[in-house]
Amino acid sequence: MKKFDQIAEFGQKLMTLKNTEHALELISDEAKSLVHADRCSIFIVDKEDTMLWTKLSDGIGRIVISLDSGIVGDTYTKKEPQIVNNPYEDKRFLQSIDKKSGYKTENMITVPIFDSKRNVMGIIQLLNKSRFDFDIEDLEMLTFFANYVSGSLELAILKEN
Amino acid sequence: MKYTDSYIKLANFGRELLEKKSLSEGLPHIARYAKELIDARRCSIYMYDRENDELWTTLADGIEKIVIPSNKGIVGNTIREEKPLIVNDAYSHPNFHSGIDEESGYVTVNLITAPIFNSTRDVIGVLQLINKNGGFDDEDVKFMVFFAHYVSGFLELISKYQRAEKK
Repeated sequence: MKKFDQIAEFGQKLMTLKNTEHALELISDEAKSLVHADRCSIFIVDKEDTMLWTKLSDGIGRIVISLDSGIVGDTYTKKEPQIVNNPYEDKRFLQSIDKKSGYKTENMITVPIFDSKRNVMGIIQLLNKSRFDFDIEDLEMLTFFANYVSGSLELAILKEN
Repeated sequence: MKYTDSYIKLANFGRELLEKKSLSEGLPHIARYAKELIDARRCSIYMYDRENDELWTTLADGIEKIVIPSNKGIVGNTIREEKPLIVNDAYSHPNFHSGIDEESGYVTVNLITAPIFNSTRDVIGVLQLINKNGGFDDEDVKFMVFFAHYVSGFLELISKYQRAEKK
């Protein structure tokens, strides 16, 4: 119940932001707060449908990856959320990003963001839930959240292009 | 693209929409914008009550509810097929349900519908527009699909709220 109040308030704030970059920052902060994660990256599929990029990730600047790489790429390909509570034992996990940033990923959850035509237009990735692993409740919350922000995100991207 | 300006208007609409705290405030607001943007005379938003397998909608005042079975008419077809439908000659369509026209005295000439999905891809409602000069076309369908998706987050959040309040 409190979470829904929080989301309603967030939604109003999101609508006042004119700039996609600021909107992505706000979405990322809200996602972290909803599932108590330490870091969030929002990957957007580029116009040519060839790459996934982040405008800004916590602590690491811009990341660009191909559509099929890592757990984020797998989320894009399968069009399904992924929970990975043991990334270093997961073949898909890109250890190189941790190496580059010096930040150790302990656990991860990803959810696809669908546009109105049901194409994946982006992926929300959250890292390192405090104390616990990511679970099915986090997944349900984030699935709802991804859909909640998808309309404004689609509109923002349409307007930019 | 006849809808280029409409996407710009949508940002304002979204801002106003998210200030609404209930379906009875939100639905008339959505209906007003949908009519204006797609240039149709009337708009109804049917919410799908899965538990009771029925559809309900509010009148223009946003208070009084009308309940109809979920298998009736073009709206029923939209729920079953889970896709948008255009009917440009309502009275010649075998599934058109003229009961609402008879009650309201308003004559439906043409109509367009689009399902509204929640985040788990269940249909939670149907957006319906009635009577556009010259009929509805593919561009209208595309915009309806976009619009239905755009409002779905708001509708899902409010529905969750109201269910939680009832408990």
